[in-house]
Amino acid sequence: MSSVASKPAPRRTEARAGSRDRTRVLVVDDHPAVRAGLRGLLADEADFELVAAVATAEAGLEVAERDSIDVAVVDYQLGGRNGLWLSRKLKRLPQPPAVLIYSAYTDGLLAAATVVAESDALVSKGRLGADLCDAVRSVASGRRQLPQLPPRLGESVRCRLDHEQQAIFGLLLAGIELEEVAATLGLTMARLESQLWAMLRGLEGPPG
Amino acid sequence: MTAVANRDAQIAEARGHRRRHPKAATPRGYVPLLQRVAGINAALVVVAVVVTILVLTPAKVSALALDEEVAVVLGAVAVVVLANVYLLRRVVGPVQSLTRFAREVDLDNLQDRVPEARPTSEAGELALTFNEMLSRLDSERRDSTARVLRAQEDERLRIAQELHDQVGQDLTAVLLGLSRVSSQAQGGMRDDVRAVQDTVRNSLEEVRRIALELRPEALDDLGLADSLAVLAERFSQQLGLEVSYRIEPDLPVLPPETELVAYRVAQEALTNVARHSASTRASLTLGRDGGTQDRDRDNLVLTVRDYGLGMPRHNIAGAGIRGMRERAALIGAELEITNSVSGPGCEVYLTVPLEAEERG
Repeated sequence: MSSVASKPAPRRTEARAGSRDRTRVLVVDDHPAVRAGLRGLLADEADFELVAAVATAEAGLEVAERDSIDVAVVDYQLGGRNGLWLSRKLKRLPQPPAVLIYSAYTDGLLAAATVVAESDALVSKGRLGADLCDAVRSVASGRRQLPQLPPRLGESVRCRLDHEQQAIFGLLLAGIELEEVAATLGLTMARLESQLWAMLRGLEGPPG
Repeated sequence: MTAVANRDAQIAEARGHRRRHPKAATPRGYVPLLQRVAGINAALVVVAVVVTILVLTPAKVSALALDEEVAVVLGAVAVVVLANVYLLRRVVGPVQSLTRFAREVDLDNLQDRVPEARPTSEAGELALTFNEMLSRLDSERRDSTARVLRAQEDERLRIAQELHDQVGQDLTAVLLGLSRVSSQAQGGMRDDVRAVQDTVRNSLEEVRRIALELRPEALDDLGLADSLAVLAERFSQQLGLEVSYRIEPDLPVLPPETELVAYRVAQEALTNVARHSASTRASLTLGRDGGTQDRDRDNLVLTVRDYGLGMPRHNIAGAGIRGMRERAALIGAELEITNSVSGPGCEVYLTVPLEAEERG
């Protein structure tokens, strides 16, 4: 999936990084060899600091609640709850990190689901390590790489959503922030929240 | 298409199916029931008549009987024997027609039943039992079809997961490791590492493609129509094969096995187009064929068409085409592969009788 559209996401301010000059990265991947590979890759880059590399979504959330994280590199398929669940949870933290979904599959439906889960980028596991590092830097600087859905696939995605959800999806795809989405559609934040979870369930379908 | 025809025969044979019995009934090594009973009865009547004559008119035994009397007796005997044959035929007839029916019943399509089977005689009971047996056979076959398909799918899913969870992740780890080596390598070494990286990326791509082909993602969830749309999109996106699709809205609800087979046939046909046809575009359609008047007789037809080289004249069906045929046979559907009449390229038709499905 080529992630073409790059839009600045104003909700994450540069001030959050504070006085630190190194980007604090959390890795969540259930495969030990991939974790080790990422650990090595990030250790080589002077501007990254690996905070932790854990195997499950729950462990990842725990780390993020305890430590301050700038970017979470998250595999989509994890043993229990998946990477998009974690993405949504991370985005509800007082200091939400940027979330980069690092997945073997990056085709249509997952791309759509990452938009709903408010992830900042979707990177294929087939990309080179250097590309991944670039993507981490990019989301750390507050840029979102929203996936581009082919129009006909977008249609089949919308088939799985009701009218209100379709409107929400359209706005999210355009990179509109949640508060603005809620205001535009006249929804309460609570209503929007529950719709987002429902949309995620609808788009992800059966696990596997 | 002789190879294909042979293949058909092989499949039919392998599955132990026979089409309607082609030969006449084999000659019998016994006297049929009707002739046997009629013969015994006729003999009994003749004996009874002779005995009666002897008992009632012993005086006349030596004397010659009058011609008229002989004629009357013979006539009466003949009438009784014929009446007997007529009555017996009505009793034995249903048994004979049941035998004929049983011999000719179409084992590929177990929808026929013995007509007018009523429990009013032994023959009727036999016909009813036979019909029940056909029904049981039919439902048993449906069950085993579903089991076979389910087992195949489970196995594919398992292999896809293994590929993804093990091979794919290991290759990802190798790729990450190579990235580190690459950044530390110098001069010509760096080019070597880059070449290895490319190889690993290609294998990773290949593993991912195979895993995706192995599992029809979200077929249960999306349904056939949407899954086919996603499939077409993926071919367009990933393999550069422009697939246009037209899927009739409001198709009847199909049994899961039928959806699975239709999906797999579409997938295999498109894969063949991408690999062998040298065509850059293909079309996929799914809809009902034929008469709109008589809904019961409709077929569901899946068509995959390309605009490439077409099939070689003496094409030997490969594993892919064999797999499609076998899957089609499992749900009683027909698969036809022909070179297009109206232009270049090849057409694949899967015809699923809706009547049988809906009756099931």
